[in-house]
Amino acid sequence: MRYVKWAFWTVIVLVVGGFLHYTLPQHDIVRVVGTYQERQDLTDWTRIFWSTPDDQSGTLTNRDVQFIQAIRANGKPMVYRNEDTGWRWPPYFKFDTATLQTQADDLRSTAEAPKWAVVTHYGWRNQFLSIFPNAVGIRPVAGPDVRIIPWVNIVILGGLLVLILLIRAMWRQFRERTIEPLIDEAADKWDELGDRAEAMDGKARGFWARLVGRGRK
Amino acid sequence: MIGFLRFAVIGLGALTVLFWLVRIYARSLRREALEEHWARESAAGVDLGPRDAYVEAGMDDYEHGLTRRLVWLVFLLPIAVFAVVVFVMNYR
Repeated sequence: MRYVKWAFWTVIVLVVGGFLHYTLPQHDIVRVVGTYQERQDLTDWTRIFWSTPDDQSGTLTNRDVQFIQAIRANGKPMVYRNEDTGWRWPPYFKFDTATLQTQADDLRSTAEAPKWAVVTHYGWRNQFLSIFPNAVGIRPVAGPDVRIIPWVNIVILGGLLVLILLIRAMWRQFRERTIEPLIDEAADKWDELGDRAEAMDGKARGFWARLVGRGRK
Repeated sequence: MIGFLRFAVIGLGALTVLFWLVRIYARSLRREALEEHWARESAAGVDLGPRDAYVEAGMDDYEHGLTRRLVWLVFLLPIAVFAVVVFVMNYR
């Protein structure tokens, strides 16, 4: 039973943690080396890792997607997709894909004369599934060692914690002020019924005793 | 456009549910505080009148007070955050 409980909580933590890790913004310090646009087939299950920029793109089997190629500060390559999120999930409300592509092109540099930039993105890169994180913003920075404080994540996770505590407090208040009085009332009624039944029982017994007593006489 | 409408309907729907929950919760907290205050004062020998009348009068003040209006922040804050996010994402 203990293992079942552990397994349950592990799955919950993995799902919630994975969801947040995929959805919340992250920052990479990179050097942009190129951009390209490629037709993508969007019919298998990995469709969930691509955006639906507008309603008509929801029914398309393939369409062009823009990409940003970059080398991270640690020397490893990273490729971002650059897609509108529109009014859908995740709520980045990104409509400036073409502008972002232009900015990325403008920051393009070589290893000899690097221009460093911070790419804000969400999502995962996976070579086997051919999925890419979605870049949502880019800005130049002084060098590869700048320190970035993830204020947005601090605020979102803090807000989420407040929301969970609020819902817990609401539930406790509801239980204390609404459910428990009802249970007490029901318990009182039950006791009352019990008392009455006992009284009836006593009466019935008396009646029976009288009857039987008389019969025996 | 349809996308925005869908987002607005779902978002406002969720906020409305949260708004009512917070409103009921805040009212319940206030009532509990009034009841406890009455019990404490009565135990200390202060006469605040009958319990129900005292609590109802306090709730009446609350329904017309400023603190109750703060619950509207449940709508205002997320909408303000939404506006800021749209601006920052697309115009900066």
